[in-house]
Amino acid sequence: MTSINALPRIDPRSPDGRLLPLPVSGGFPVTGEPSNTIAAAGLTKRYGDTVAVDGLTFTVSPGRVTGFLGPNGAGKSTTMRLLLGLERSDAGSATINGVPYADLPAPLTQVGAMLEAKAFHPGRSGRNHLLCLAQSHALVPERVDEVIDLVGLRGAAHRRAGTYSLGMAQRLGIAAALLGDPGVVILDEPVNGLDPEGVLWIRRLMKRLAAEGRAVLVSSHLMNEMAVTADHLLVVGRGRLLSDCPTDEFIRRHTDPGIYAATPAIARPALLEEAFLRVTAASVEYAGQ
Amino acid sequence: MTTAVPTSTASPMSLATSSLAREGRAPAARPTHVPGRADLLRGEWTKIRSVRSTTWSLLAMAVASLALTTIATSLFTARWPHLDAATRTQFRSDTVGLIFQPAASFGQVAVCVLGVLFISSEYSTGMIRSTMLAAPRRTPVLAAKAAVFAALIFAVAELVALPCFFIGSAITGKYASTSITNPTDLRAVVGFGVFMALTGLIALAVGTLVRHPAAGISLVLAWQFVVPAVLSLLPGPLGEHLSGAMPANTVVIMGSGHDADNVFSPAQGLGLLVAWTVVLMAGAWFSIRRRDV
Ligand SMILES: Nc1ncnc2c1ncn2[C@@H]1O[C@H](COP(=O)(O)OP(=O)(O)OP(=O)(O)O)[C@@H](O)[C@H]1O
Ligand SMILES: [Mg+2]
Repeated sequence: MTSINALPRIDPRSPDGRLLPLPVSGGFPVTGEPSNTIAAAGLTKRYGDTVAVDGLTFTVSPGRVTGFLGPNGAGKSTTMRLLLGLERSDAGSATINGVPYADLPAPLTQVGAMLEAKAFHPGRSGRNHLLCLAQSHALVPERVDEVIDLVGLRGAAHRRAGTYSLGMAQRLGIAAALLGDPGVVILDEPVNGLDPEGVLWIRRLMKRLAAEGRAVLVSSHLMNEMAVTADHLLVVGRGRLLSDCPTDEFIRRHTDPGIYAATPAIARPALLEEAFLRVTAASVEYAGQ
Repeated sequence: MTTAVPTSTASPMSLATSSLAREGRAPAARPTHVPGRADLLRGEWTKIRSVRSTTWSLLAMAVASLALTTIATSLFTARWPHLDAATRTQFRSDTVGLIFQPAASFGQVAVCVLGVLFISSEYSTGMIRSTMLAAPRRTPVLAAKAAVFAALIFAVAELVALPCFFIGSAITGKYASTSITNPTDLRAVVGFGVFMALTGLIALAVGTLVRHPAAGISLVLAWQFVVPAVLSLLPGPLGEHLSGAMPANTVVIMGSGHDADNVFSPAQGLGLLVAWTVVLMAGAWFSIRRRDV
């Protein structure tokens, strides 16, 4: 920590404890207090005849975990990729803190994302993977070690990332997402393939990130997991927004009133699956016989 | 595996990521300055030095170059008693060509492979999305990759060119004289690095356009070896000129310029190689800006 403290730095807080803007030097835009929000307006993306994302308009607010649900092929991943500037939209806009991703001066300090477990070169060590990303953002190497400890990868940091188990790869992805201490976190199916302990770890992490005032957008197919993690739900089907409301309200609105009344409050998260199936019944594209 | 990854309960979020709302950002998580081009270069340098294929490719380039210099000059001098006067004169006027051209022709294979891999492996592994998330503007990413790669290849190629030159000079010393202080010879030593670096950029461009490592490597090697050979089969000066204008045959930039067999002079060879590099890098730039990742 000594080398960190040795860096010239401005105290991020004003005397009354409010967060000040990042220290500014030549050309670094003053964005003020980060608002930590994601906004999509009329967002549309087509692949040939397929409309993957069809006029989506929503806001993801800070301080809560927003679950992003929808059947396979509903357009969740595509929406996230549009938000992150990895694809160009055909219409509409996607902004982070009011700015399109590509225009963020130091994007990793505002948005952290994990879209796939293995967005790294398998021949590079986990630490070097994080180091090259940190260097591109003028972050000190000490930050790399901080996030490695944060996700519990210290023992494996110097090993080639290709040797990591799925759970370790997910942790590396989360470490990369948190590298710049972003106010917005976007995770695409982060618990896919994790063991129960890993699932619990991600759940706690997301809740903690939200409690710290960040906006957390997470997609998942695990209804029980979402029911206990997400405070708010965005539900999409065939690229369209089907629902945008708090999780408990979604469950109440879309379950049989009799069943809802008969279910004790503590067990109501278990009803999310039924509510989800009802809402998306008309939008399921890939169904078995 | 469980020993390597502490359990969730054992690794609660530490102070590392502090409360954004209440306490401000984690101190080390702030950029020390406005991230710019130099930072992108630093990141790309870490990338290329932290994979094994770099070491192996550069080693292969060094070994192939040194071996070919030794073999070509040894074979030639061994045949000296049987050579006619014209061939001897030609050799004396272009000794550096014999020292460097076969070496460059074979040494470039490893550079081509590494150039394609440097970027296409990002596409094939998913790393490209991490790269683009960190640096969403694509032109600076491609520029940083090209700069780091060209600089690395030039530096290593020069480190190889010097021993090649001295070994080749020693072997041919009985029949011809070369000297590092001779401008023509020095130009050949520098030309070796320039040829390798620009050839590397051509491979990098192909890797950017094709994105698949195996396809990219096949294409660039066919482009460097098969296409010139096929073109040279065309009848008359047309075939000679077309083949000579291919980037692989611009190894003439290492020749003396007096060799009557060379279709193009060293200066023209350099011009052609630069032109190929510019055209292909422009294509790569267009592609990386346009296509989704
Ligand atoms: N690159 C692409 N080319 C063509 N079609 C695509 C492409 N990417 C996505 N699609 C299509 O867009 C639609 C939405 O896909 P997307 O991956 O966003 O869905 P998803 O909600 O993430 O699904 P899942 O839950 O299975 O991950 C699908 O019909 C898919 O086939
Ligand atoms: Mg998906």
